[in-house]
Amino acid sequence: MASEFLRLRLRQFANAGQLGTPQLVRVIIGVVYAAAMTVLLVLVLIGLRDAQPDTARTAVVLGGSVVLLGFFVVPLLFPVSDRMDPRAFSLFGFTPETVARGLLAASFLSVPAIAVTIVGLATVVTWSATVGTALLAVVGAAIGVVTCVLAGRVSLSISAFALATRRAREAGVVVGVLALVVLVPGLVLLVLGGGTEAGGALGALESVLGWTPLGAAWAVAADAANGQWVLAVLKLLIAGATLALLWLGWKGLVALMAVTPSQEESVREHSGLGWFARTPSTPTGAVAARVLTYWARDPRYYAQLVIVPVVPVIAILVFLFVGIPVEYTALLPVPVMCVFLGWVVHNDVAFDNTAIWLHVASGRLGLADRIGRTVPVVLIAIPLIGIGSFLSVLFADQLSALPAVLGASTCLVLTGIGIGSVFSARFPYAATRPGDGAFTQPQSPGATWALAPGFSLLGTVLLSTPSIVFGVLGVFADPEYAWVSLWTGVGVGVVVAMVGIVWGARIFDRRGPELLAAAQRS
Amino acid sequence: MVRDLDPDDIVLEISGLLKRFGSTTAVAGIDLRVPRGSFYGIVGPNGAGKTTTLSMATGLLRPDGGSISVLGHDVWRDPAGAKRLIGVLPDRLRLFDRLTGRQLLHYAGTLRGLDATAVAQRSDDLAAAFGLGDALGRLVSDYSAGMTKKIALASAMIHSPRLLVLDEPFESVDPVSAQNVVEILERYVAAGGTVVLSSHSMDMIQRVCDRVAIIVEGAVPAQGTVDEVREGGTLEQRFLSLTGEHRNAEGLEWLLSSSD
Repeated sequence: MASEFLRLRLRQFANAGQLGTPQLVRVIIGVVYAAAMTVLLVLVLIGLRDAQPDTARTAVVLGGSVVLLGFFVVPLLFPVSDRMDPRAFSLFGFTPETVARGLLAASFLSVPAIAVTIVGLATVVTWSATVGTALLAVVGAAIGVVTCVLAGRVSLSISAFALATRRAREAGVVVGVLALVVLVPGLVLLVLGGGTEAGGALGALESVLGWTPLGAAWAVAADAANGQWVLAVLKLLIAGATLALLWLGWKGLVALMAVTPSQEESVREHSGLGWFARTPSTPTGAVAARVLTYWARDPRYYAQLVIVPVVPVIAILVFLFVGIPVEYTALLPVPVMCVFLGWVVHNDVAFDNTAIWLHVASGRLGLADRIGRTVPVVLIAIPLIGIGSFLSVLFADQLSALPAVLGASTCLVLTGIGIGSVFSARFPYAATRPGDGAFTQPQSPGATWALAPGFSLLGTVLLSTPSIVFGVLGVFADPEYAWVSLWTGVGVGVVVAMVGIVWGARIFDRRGPELLAAAQRS
Repeated sequence: MVRDLDPDDIVLEISGLLKRFGSTTAVAGIDLRVPRGSFYGIVGPNGAGKTTTLSMATGLLRPDGGSISVLGHDVWRDPAGAKRLIGVLPDRLRLFDRLTGRQLLHYAGTLRGLDATAVAQRSDDLAAAFGLGDALGRLVSDYSAGMTKKIALASAMIHSPRLLVLDEPFESVDPVSAQNVVEILERYVAAGGTVVLSSHSMDMIQRVCDRVAIIVEGAVPAQGTVDEVREGGTLEQRFLSLTGEHRNAEGLEWLLSSSD
């Protein structure tokens, strides 16, 4: 029976040739990327054969855990339509077991599954020092690969089934963006830490992950190669149990989906207000809900957020290259991200294009408009500063610098909000139009296009200078200054944000028609 | 249909309205008086200044001269007071179309200061009246052109304005929906509301409006009740006589040369 599912899957592959050109290009880019990554990883794994067994273990177990986590998490965060949905087979009279088995077999015919299979097999080469470890590596890799594919399959169905509602999908995307914004600096710090302490932190992480379902399968041969045969057997049991439980869960999910009607329509009707139901029903709350909805639904806003984690990563690589030690560079990512996070409001009005007429026609909405637009930034900034600052000082191993990082970051976000609130009302410049590709460059007449982004960024940094200077003194001279940095930063930030919002609101009320006229020109 | 109206009870008064774009004068001193309870049509050829006039009347475009007042509130000196009384349907401006229909209605209502309960109640009523009930859960960007007009019109009415200013409300609306919209507007007028709308369709204006103004090249050569303006003929005949002689298809002889 499984052969029928496989044939159907092959048919879908063959039909890819009939896609439109843009989709085909995307498919080809995906395949080429996957092939390149596969080759790279295989080469790395072959190279690890001659490395220290302990180093090889750390790399394989951590890498394998990340891959398995990716298989499970990516479909949840970035839902795609499932072309092999179990519900599509519910009318053919198969038993759930048959469908579950057939779909699992068909799942191996996908680009990520093929890639992980090849990479998984390459781990056998890594552990091929002795016949025993090689055999264990075959078993471990087989379990690991099947677990990955099955996890991806289960997660795809969960995202199609449980996250079918718009609200759930929106929440998923918000979590995804938050995770990106918070995780990227975390990972960078992790790599930095690993680089200096020769895998100390990574090794510790590996020894934990090896005991979890994520890493157990990859740790089997690794432990054996390090001479720890008892641990290897225990981890083999954990990996086997993980796979068995996942398989039972998959069978149950198929059976459940077959008899559960799609809940999309009814839920959508009840929850039709989305963010609007969760914010106060005042003009300010409505603007906040609208902006949150757009941040979650409109790719132009993510495109704008991409810069937030990218700049600090580049900055830190440069600093490391010129030889600044980690205990200082680790303090940088959070403040640098805060500069760009606060800055994203500086052209927010232009993103609305001519739809801004609704705000102009509704009366004096300036204050509500200004405050509402800052809400998503604040919602991202709070976890970013809160968690990010802690991680920073932990990795820099300078707990006394915590107030400085908190102060400078808070100051940068708040002054960014204050200055941005004035700039977006006074100097809007052409932004990507609604519905255009998120990375399309807009036509940009006028000089404000060149000046507004630069000046708003410069102003943010200048106003935050006192807090930054005290922060630097706190790190290099006397930790007491770190506290001065915190109080200066919070004080300046709050004042600038409030003044900026009130001033921006007055400009918005006065120049509403001119804002609309500017939008009509772009 | 001419309703009995008090000619001195003016809802929208425009006097000496002026707007220039660079060297061209789009609106050259327009005067309009719209009495309470009227169904007022504005007609004119393309580029005559209809949209410019209505944008200035609703506070969306700053005039270069003249004054506009709505029930005594000057639109440009007391914008908050005037805008509270006006419902607007602009032409060719975007909506926040990444919202669902329900969210857009909620947004429009809440921005106007309504509370959640009132918005929910009125959204349901408006959706039922406009036949949008099934579509409220979908994104406005997925709507057809006609449905987009209807959701925009519903958003313009949700705060129960005293004056509705509608720019081309029937454009790209199918005849059945147009009739549905006309009935809703007639009920609104019968209950004491005032409608000002612009349209290309003379037939539509003649059928549904009781008062009409013709705009040609930024001026108003004729206004009054439909009967006064059409002077015995049809509105279209009067319109053509005011916009200059009917242009023949001269110079297009080659188009007709199917004989050779």
